[in-house]
Amino acid sequence: MLKRSALVLVLPLALLGVFPASAAVKASDIIQRAIDGFVRPAYASLHQHAEILTKAMHKLCEAPSQGGLGAARAEFSATVDAWSSAEIIGFGPIKDNNRLERMLYWPDRKSLGLKQVQAALSAKDPTATDPAQLTGKSIAMQGLGALEFVLYGDGADTLTGKDDPYRCAYGAAVAGNIESMAKDVNEAWNKPDGFAAIWANPGPQNPLYRDGNEAVTELVGVFINELEMVRDVRLKGFLGGKPEADKPKQAIYWRSQNTTTSLAGNLAGIDALFQASKLGDALPSDARWMAESIHIQLVNGVATAKSVQGPIDKVLADPALREKLEHFTLITSSLSTLIGTRLTAEFGLTAGFSSLDGD
Amino acid sequence: MKTPLIDRRDFLRAAGIGFAAAIAPPAWAATLAADAVFATAFVKRDGSFGAAVLSEAGKVLHAIDLPDRGHDVTFDPVSKRSVVFARQPGTFAVIFDHAGRDAPQTIASITGRHFFGHGVFSPDGALLYATENDFDNAAGVIGIYDARAKFSRIGEFPTYGMGPHELLLPGDGRTIAVANGGIETHPDYGRAELNIATMKPSYVLIDRVTGDLIEKHELPAALHQLSIRHMDTDPSGTVWFGCQYRGTGTDRPLLVGRAARGKELQLIDMPPDILSGFRNYIGSVAANPDAGTVAVSSPEGNSLVVIDAASGRVVSSSTLVEVCGLAPDGSGFMATTGAGEIIEGSGATRSEPDYVWDNHMLRIEQV
Repeated sequence: MLKRSALVLVLPLALLGVFPASAAVKASDIIQRAIDGFVRPAYASLHQHAEILTKAMHKLCEAPSQGGLGAARAEFSATVDAWSSAEIIGFGPIKDNNRLERMLYWPDRKSLGLKQVQAALSAKDPTATDPAQLTGKSIAMQGLGALEFVLYGDGADTLTGKDDPYRCAYGAAVAGNIESMAKDVNEAWNKPDGFAAIWANPGPQNPLYRDGNEAVTELVGVFINELEMVRDVRLKGFLGGKPEADKPKQAIYWRSQNTTTSLAGNLAGIDALFQASKLGDALPSDARWMAESIHIQLVNGVATAKSVQGPIDKVLADPALREKLEHFTLITSSLSTLIGTRLTAEFGLTAGFSSLDGD
Repeated sequence: MKTPLIDRRDFLRAAGIGFAAAIAPPAWAATLAADAVFATAFVKRDGSFGAAVLSEAGKVLHAIDLPDRGHDVTFDPVSKRSVVFARQPGTFAVIFDHAGRDAPQTIASITGRHFFGHGVFSPDGALLYATENDFDNAAGVIGIYDARAKFSRIGEFPTYGMGPHELLLPGDGRTIAVANGGIETHPDYGRAELNIATMKPSYVLIDRVTGDLIEKHELPAALHQLSIRHMDTDPSGTVWFGCQYRGTGTDRPLLVGRAARGKELQLIDMPPDILSGFRNYIGSVAANPDAGTVAVSSPEGNSLVVIDAASGRVVSSSTLVEVCGLAPDGSGFMATTGAGEIIEGSGATRSEPDYVWDNHMLRIEQV
């Protein structure tokens, strides 16, 4: 078993000039900073964007137009960007009631979501246009993937006219459902006695984190698991070992051309979380370079992903752009080694540490 | 997560390297003289993978190289050969002689399938059964290999569920018990779990001759995210199983249960502090027939708990960092950890800090 090892309850703080060698960083402080400095703002931002998106959808439905569709699409992309940062915190309130899967049903290998969305559109199922009733339907019909098909999939052009009000109404319901989940998760993270209190107050009576090791392990797990997810699940899902093996239609958000926005958002979230938690401050001075290096590489990764623009099939067909995606893979691999092996070694964690390791 | 499915020819070429290395004669002698040995997969701190044979005192007697991470080991007392399976979604299994008499043999899963890390021999040693993933159809299968014909794959039958994990031959030698973990994975997406919202684990009994389903049991709907993964059989023939929960982290479902033929699955009640010590994750289950006990381990919760098989009561609980591998040893259990520790049944501890012991350990009797 490669997972968790003991991270000392009180992380050793680097010797900083005049500070005594015994100075220490408390695990609970690291977690509280992660929550206040990243988790809460990230989910608040998601909620805010989802609200604007819902309004844009309603506006489009009331007065269908090219401009209205453009505005709704822009808000969809902004919401995807906000979600891509927030989704790295895939535990806590987002796990309740299958919200994680309802927010983003991906990968949809068998096009289940697509088929169900198309079926609802073709049958004009009235219950799917009510956000409350939509929550009881298939998870694949409720979230960002479904709304992306409404806004960008076959037939999306009808949203500019009055011929197909159903499509817009269903899209507005999906947006409303996304908004309501974002609101619930945001509120849950802000409750004084909610999940944030559980994570930031490890102790023997705590239902999830019995000591600081477990609480900080959850945080470090975010960096390791998300880097692995970005590279091995999101990127390698469509970027083949050779161009012949590429599968552009398996790329996340390919219809809305948000594939690289999302990859950049994931890394930007990891960077923001790493900075906010100040986990790097717990490194001894001779290992402090790691924190700086991690930050530089994450910034580099975000820039690389953002420099790849356009439809993903065209990107993959362009050797120079495809090479950038390969470079992005290398950056994430290097970050995985830096965090998963070197940083964890400094904290006494085992080398292969990863929560996807379970069997 | 390494390359999900590497090219089979490249793999078989790579697999040949190092496998031919014979063990040193003194180690052979020690292996053969021992009353029992233990086999387990490992990762070395330098990043290399292998499977090791440990003495009863926890000493590494023999090791073979593996091209990637292994998972469980199974043993055939007839031919005295063991098989270590690749961890999911791996595509190799290595047959080896723990006494080092023969060179290891590597087999690869067929196109469209990968191993889930567990397997079992038929009682006569003629056939090897392995849990496998028919990933394009998201269906579990049991691959059948002819142990007398270089382990050629001669067929398969369904596990009547998704994500089969451990399998056993409890009782009559004809019925295979399979824990269908209920989780969909596809090598295109590494180890990502694709159906957490809709997963449906099950415990099934299958006739290994006909491939027919004999019994299928599911947990109550409210526990549909409780993945049944690992099992062992107690002296009464009851199968004990351990689960991993994929639902909300603050939920505290029961994680250990037993299955008796013809009866519904029964989850075992445990004191709250014991249950919360598992952090919703049981990594391994092992029975000690002589002691009438069953042990379960949680590497997530750093805990090892021993249960009295007859009453279902917790006998003891101990804290061990990253404990997972378990095998009966005397009146207790030998346990291995991700920190390189080997803890004998007597409690004696040996450390091999160069090794990260993998999830499972097998006791091999030297008959």
